[in-house]
Amino acid sequence: MARVLVAEDDPDIQQLVMYKLKRSGFEAMAVADGLAALAAVRQFRPHAVLIDVRMPGLDGIELCRELRAAPDTAKLPIVMISAQGRPQDRELAFAAGCDDYVVKPFSPKELVERVQQLLVEVRA
Amino acid sequence: MIEAVSATVVVLGIVVFTLSVIIVVVRVVRRTLRRRRARLAEAPRLALLEFVAEGGTEGAEELIALPQRQWQAAEPGAIALLGKVRGEAHTALVDVFARRGLIEAERADLTHRSRVRRARAAEALGNLEHRPAVLALCALLRDPHAEVRLVAVRALGRIGDPAAAVPLLDSRATADPTPSQLCAQALAQLGPEAEPALIGALEHADARVRVTALDALGLVGSGALIEPVARVLEEDPSLPVRLAAANTLGRMGGRAAVPPLVVALGVDHPDPLRAAAARALGEAGAAGVAEALAGLLADPAYRVAHEAAHALRKAGPAGLAVLRSSPEPHAEEALAVAGLG
Repeated sequence: MARVLVAEDDPDIQQLVMYKLKRSGFEAMAVADGLAALAAVRQFRPHAVLIDVRMPGLDGIELCRELRAAPDTAKLPIVMISAQGRPQDRELAFAAGCDDYVVKPFSPKELVERVQQLLVEVRA
Repeated sequence: MIEAVSATVVVLGIVVFTLSVIIVVVRVVRRTLRRRRARLAEAPRLALLEFVAEGGTEGAEELIALPQRQWQAAEPGAIALLGKVRGEAHTALVDVFARRGLIEAERADLTHRSRVRRARAAEALGNLEHRPAVLALCALLRDPHAEVRLVAVRALGRIGDPAAAVPLLDSRATADPTPSQLCAQALAQLGPEAEPALIGALEHADARVRVTALDALGLVGSGALIEPVARVLEEDPSLPVRLAAANTLGRMGGRAAVPPLVVALGVDHPDPLRAAAARALGEAGAAGVAEALAGLLADPAYRVAHEAAHALRKAGPAGLAVLRSSPEPHAEEALAVAGLG
């Protein structure tokens, strides 16, 4: 069973995504800030991470850079979730190393499909 | 005399004590009510999350049948949830609101005497993407309370009906206008059908309207709209408007944006405009800007030389080559920044 870490400080979105991931057959774990996400990546060893851009502690962009800088997580599939949909916001996230960028409001079904697609691409 | 002072002290003491008791009681009652509401909302909140996560395929009847007290406790969360999802999940949740008769209630609240009720209704109708409420929401753009106007702007952007373009633009031309950037973002959300209104607003008598229209065009970013923006850059009588036009051309980018910006670099233009044009050339990401910017590195206007150097930093290998061959301090600084990246 593929493991997905959800780093999101909005309790509604966190619960929504966790529910959808579990119903779609993933093992999922949630944290509410960037520093907790860094620790959780070491413990939980996810196959993919969903990261909210705006989080307390360490924001999503910094978290993404930290994960890309560490050899064991350099290729971990990362999906960023953000309320900011401007081209420069996307560019910043992709420059930090994310693999996909989802703008809020989003469709939970589509989000999970994008995670599935990323995992398929990694395995291929 | 002493008796009178003592009596006053006693009365004041009683008043202070009574007020303290009232404050404590009110706080305890409020906290109790809040906890009770949170307890009442917990089960419907989870049901709503599951319903939305499943795209509305199961659980609709249970939500519609929820007792009114429970729904009322969960409603603020449901309205917020509407703003966080789209697609089938959003459609299903809108259907629940409609079947509970809440859309009509929210529409009625748009004219409620309480500004909190008006703002909440505007937020709800925006999140519901309820197009029939657009006219009423446009009327709220002239609400006496700034926070209500602000929520109305966001709601109109979320609904995305191009009919809101002109009222949104006009809301910038009042004594107490809506915030420019927020308004520009809402206008950009209205889609291509709103572009004629944005182009038309470039001729508006009020400079604030012209700036907002330019900011919105920059967010839309369509290269097909460069010509009218270039005309504003060249001809508008207001410097802030011309600065906004330069920024917009930079955001639109591409080869067609370059010639009008290069013209604006000329020494016959005000220095702030020349600096804005230089910065915009860096943002435009088009080839062939290095030559036009190279001569500005030694410009006597500090801001112009500074922006030219940083625009060259963003202009690819040709821009970096110009910086390396220049002895100017602005070039050295830009190269140092490029090295940090």
